[in-house]
Amino acid sequence: MKTEAIMKKQSRPTKPASPKKVRNQPAKVTIRKLPTGVRGLDEILGGGVPELSFNIIAGTPGCGKTTLAHQIVFANATPRKPALYFTVLGEPAIKMLRYQQQYSFFDQSKLGQAIRFFNLSDVVTEQDLNAVLEEIIRQVKASNPGIVVVDSFRTVVRKAAAGASEGDMQMFIQRLAQFLTSWEATTFLVGEYVPEEMRDNPVFTVADGLFWLSQVTERNSVGRKLQVFKLRGQASVPGLHTFRIDDDGLQAFSRSLGMNSKDMNGLRGRRRLSTGIPELDQMMNGGLIEGDSLLVAGPSGTGKSALATHFIAEGLRRGEAAIVALFEERPQGYVDRAASLGMHLKTPQQKGKLEVLYLRPLDLSVDEITHEILEAIRQVGAKRLVIDSLVGFEMALAPGFREDFRESLYRMIVALTGAGVTILTTVEVEDNFTSLQYSHYTVSFLTDDIIRLRSVEIDGQLRKVIAVIKMRGGNHSKDIREYVITDKGVVVIHPRSTDYERLITGIPTRTGPRPPQADEAAPEPKATK
Amino acid sequence: MRNFARRLIGQEAGDTKSYGAQIPAAFRGCEKLRLHLATFMGNAGFRTVLARALALSAREVPWLRVVRIKTDGPLERLDEFEAQLDRNDFTEGGEVLLAHLLGLLVAFIGASLTLRLVRDVWPKVPLDDLDFGEGNRG
Repeated sequence: MKTEAIMKKQSRPTKPASPKKVRNQPAKVTIRKLPTGVRGLDEILGGGVPELSFNIIAGTPGCGKTTLAHQIVFANATPRKPALYFTVLGEPAIKMLRYQQQYSFFDQSKLGQAIRFFNLSDVVTEQDLNAVLEEIIRQVKASNPGIVVVDSFRTVVRKAAAGASEGDMQMFIQRLAQFLTSWEATTFLVGEYVPEEMRDNPVFTVADGLFWLSQVTERNSVGRKLQVFKLRGQASVPGLHTFRIDDDGLQAFSRSLGMNSKDMNGLRGRRRLSTGIPELDQMMNGGLIEGDSLLVAGPSGTGKSALATHFIAEGLRRGEAAIVALFEERPQGYVDRAASLGMHLKTPQQKGKLEVLYLRPLDLSVDEITHEILEAIRQVGAKRLVIDSLVGFEMALAPGFREDFRESLYRMIVALTGAGVTILTTVEVEDNFTSLQYSHYTVSFLTDDIIRLRSVEIDGQLRKVIAVIKMRGGNHSKDIREYVITDKGVVVIHPRSTDYERLITGIPTRTGPRPPQADEAAPEPKATK
Repeated sequence: MRNFARRLIGQEAGDTKSYGAQIPAAFRGCEKLRLHLATFMGNAGFRTVLARALALSAREVPWLRVVRIKTDGPLERLDEFEAQLDRNDFTEGGEVLLAHLLGLLVAFIGASLTLRLVRDVWPKVPLDDLDFGEGNRG
């Protein structure tokens, strides 16, 4: 069969190549892309910064422009192709070195040979644009750099152009861009600009790349964002991307993080994953479908986290690595509480099969959280993921990011299921007595499956019932079952009760006979460990 | 830091051919550092650091109070002071000034980066045994 196919392929007449087509297809120029040295930024830029491009790094003071420029410089400069860093009025060079050396990317051994700093302040202060250009040309010719940074270019222009016409300025920028490109340098002009200037400032027209950094303070939190306004020659990811500055410098989180088709290896098989609660598996027609996103909704104290821990423990028992992303409690507390329910997570944690992430609350972005979780998934090869809980997740976000919570959550769920994990997310809902909410966020459209937990008043007790509301991948039980939480965890104890109606309201009405009520211990003693 | 400065000045005393041979050896170190540092700090940047070093030094070596710095960074009238002062006093002035200048650099950019800059200027001077303990600026 195979041979036949090959024969067929070979016997197929070859389409004659069009002579015209051959003549008119000279090789396209290959634009090499320089790494930025910033985690996540190359992906946003479509692979890196195009070599020989003329770029602007713009933004308000303190948003990380100089740090970004330094990261690019340290990532690329070599003694053979050095970086020439022009400093001007503004942050004194000695202070710049003082602060920048705190970052992990700052490699002192590169200073001098691979990275050369040159201060233009005297020329800028005392002379005109032509003199500035001549000095830049002189230094570039002497160093033959692969990268040139002017920080801050705005200061150069402001000071040196005092008295110069708009034409002079355009000519200066044009000549500068032309010269630096001809000398095979990739250029970064760093400047404190505001978006309104983009329309009239000639430097934005000349620039091949325009990277805009900003930081927005909202209530007590600060959110940093990056936008690639333009990047000639390659496709960058549009939109505002969040970034963070820590000891390693900038780290960017693409809006499309994990959503590229090449990253998507999501599972859409029909394998059923046990939740670790046999009766619940039966209600779900055999368990949770691998690759699904399950929402477990219920009020406080109904055992959402316990149910989620069952799901994780069962996976670990079957050899499936797992991630638990916590927003409301510390990992140690979580592990201890799991042990009190009969599920021992310490050993798999020590063996690297379980990663319990505690995501630092209050100023995170969804993209940053997605990145953390994706990293953890890759590291442990996780198959199961618990996010506990959506409410805590939202609280962990900077206020500015909460506005886009639904959209961001959508991106995150797509990215995470695309990474091949099955997700269980808990969400706290307030029980009311007129309806059965699934969540406050109207995010149920994001989930494949929904389980609802609810407190109900029965026979003078506040009991718990569980129901499978939705399973996108197939049929499921329509029963409302009672369950208890013991030191063995969540246990579904009774078959469907037909003695009540309106259970989902929380105040059911008895329709069956009232059995004798013995004085008995509470049916769900609290775990004591 | 004084040892550090003394070592650099000692290197300069034996060098009569390289740049700045006309500048008294005791102060040639400051001048060589100026040329190197002004490249990335600018003349004005270097001048302010040197002025601070001079102010600190003048507390220890009174005759340094009358030394002035030119706009672009070099020290003025050094040859005159050299002619008027006792040789040891003059040399001590240079040593103390260089020590404070190096001390300020260490305070601003750290010992490691300072040594790196110094090595760029004096590649042959052995510096590995130097101790930059806390509070050892003077």
